[in-house]
Amino acid sequence: MRTHIISTIFQKELKEVLRDKRMIYLIILMPFFLYPVLFTIIGKVGQSQSKKIASEKVTVYLNPEGQGTPIYDLLQKDTSLKIVVQNFDRAAIDTLKNTIGILVDQNFANIQNENGSAAVKVFVDNSKDLLNSRKKKVLKKLNQLNDDLVHQRLTQASLDPTFIQAIDIQEEDLATEEQMLGKILGSFLPMLLLLFIFLGCIYIAIDITAGEKERRTLQSLFTTPVTTREIIAGKFGAVFTVGIVSAAMNLLSLFFAMFIQVSLMTSDGTSGDGPPEFALTVSPMGWMWVIIIILLSTIFLAALSLAVVLLANSYKEAQSYVSPLMMLVLLPAIVSQMPGLELNMTTAMIPMLNISLAIGEVIKGGFDVGLVALVALFALIYAVLALLMASLTFGNENVITGEKVSFKGLFKR
Amino acid sequence: MQTLIEARKLTKDFDKFRAVNDLSFEVKKGEIFGLLGPNGAGKTTTLRMLSGLLTPTSGEAFIAGHSMQHDQLAARSAMGFLTGDMDLYRRLTPVEVLAYFAKLYGVPKAQWQAKGKQLIEAFGISEFKDKHCEKLSTGQKQRVSIARTLIHDPQVVILDEPTTGLDIMASEFILQFIRRMAKEEGKTVIFSTHHLDEVERLCDRIAIIHKGELQHYGTIAEAKSRSGKEKLAEAFFQLVDA
Repeated sequence: MRTHIISTIFQKELKEVLRDKRMIYLIILMPFFLYPVLFTIIGKVGQSQSKKIASEKVTVYLNPEGQGTPIYDLLQKDTSLKIVVQNFDRAAIDTLKNTIGILVDQNFANIQNENGSAAVKVFVDNSKDLLNSRKKKVLKKLNQLNDDLVHQRLTQASLDPTFIQAIDIQEEDLATEEQMLGKILGSFLPMLLLLFIFLGCIYIAIDITAGEKERRTLQSLFTTPVTTREIIAGKFGAVFTVGIVSAAMNLLSLFFAMFIQVSLMTSDGTSGDGPPEFALTVSPMGWMWVIIIILLSTIFLAALSLAVVLLANSYKEAQSYVSPLMMLVLLPAIVSQMPGLELNMTTAMIPMLNISLAIGEVIKGGFDVGLVALVALFALIYAVLALLMASLTFGNENVITGEKVSFKGLFKR
Repeated sequence: MQTLIEARKLTKDFDKFRAVNDLSFEVKKGEIFGLLGPNGAGKTTTLRMLSGLLTPTSGEAFIAGHSMQHDQLAARSAMGFLTGDMDLYRRLTPVEVLAYFAKLYGVPKAQWQAKGKQLIEAFGISEFKDKHCEKLSTGQKQRVSIARTLIHDPQVVILDEPTTGLDIMASEFILQFIRRMAKEEGKTVIFSTHHLDEVERLCDRIAIIHKGELQHYGTIAEAKSRSGKEKLAEAFFQLVDA
């Protein structure tokens, strides 16, 4: 293969792509604006919803028997609740807006005096976010009251509170904030990454194969003194480059959008305890493996895209191949998110699933180098197979002359 | 005289259909050779086998002495090929198209720049040389396409219906250029067309094919004489029906 010929084809393909406004929009402008805008809108909507839930008052219907109990005092102290003392039933609560019903046992005081257990029934529509959130608050207060009353009883009976606590369960979270971020990113980032690479590859692959067939420019290339392999290499290089650029642009934009989102949360003070960190603890070795696997998976997706869309005779026909191909690529990546599924000798061999799992594990931290290397090896094997398939498709004379290619005819020379 | 194009017992089958059967002819240096036949006769298949786009089921094609089956790159280097099925890259300018194909043919930069300049002048491309090809008219595109076919100064030029879709002025321009190319520059031209008047004006010899079979191979005068007709059109119908 002659590198100057490959380079000539590669440069021409990129030049054409860069002059296609649709492609520029899809590869650069869309990701550049999409995520920051999307994240900002989602963030703002989320913030406004949180504020609304925090500030809006909820009515609590309490039966008259509950008024003389500590429950009434407890609820009244909460300014986000409006207490209405009156009789009610389940149906009444169901018809009222933003209302919770609390039905306290008629004999609450007597039961308490006899060290019994008094029923407190809470009526709430859990499908409403506001009511659900307020119910949690009310239940927390009631549980605290229960603990206090039990504590009083134990004291009266000269018993230590540990009397009713045989085991004191203490949990300590060892994960750092970076590790938690790694866990979150590691679960969805590989899938997004594969999607971005695929989308970057598929549209240019369609343009320089089926698009060229439709525009009747492919034949002239095959009458020049250039080998099929040189044509594939030049076109493949262009698809690979655009795939990588697309993935990089999407990822940069995604991280930028996340950074903006985290900054917004920090400045608004809605992030909880202290400012959130936006840092990953992936070792240089980990990044090296991520880059190797991304490059190999881009080779695979670029070659696969070329081989498949070349079977189409028009842009429209090629576009109809995109959805099934996308499912083929993304389903294993989605499956990789299933709980309990992890990288092992078997999953390391399954295309796309292995890449998704490997990138996820590296980002989460603590990966097995041997398994990740095995994934890289299999990714390389699949990339070579996809290139061979692309070569098979390109060498078919029906493809060259723009005729319809049957699957059976693919293997004919 | 040197033979620059040779079809040697070319046969092409598409599944069970035989498109071309045992076709043989030769074209000498400086000749304009017309390939005639009704639609579906096998003309395009023959030209595609000569250019290496299709592999013959049997037989062999030679361009400037190089086998298209066994020495394809050398054979293609000696040939410029243009059919009505070919278009230009829409997002490139004519100058970029010429540069691209010159590089693919391995023409040194200084050489293709000089040749490109000459072709741009000869084909009147100057005024639209920097426009994207998608903005050119059919006639302008065809001029650029022929210039693209000649950028590497090939010994053999194969043109499949080069005047189809062109107006009378553009057609005349192309025909005169074909004549000049053969008679002044010594290039060998195979020329396929449905316009028999163009054939009478240009071609030294012709081949008439029908249903993949060679019906006539010789001069126009010989075709008329064989068929006993005075006009080529009448001779054509006679030979095809025979």
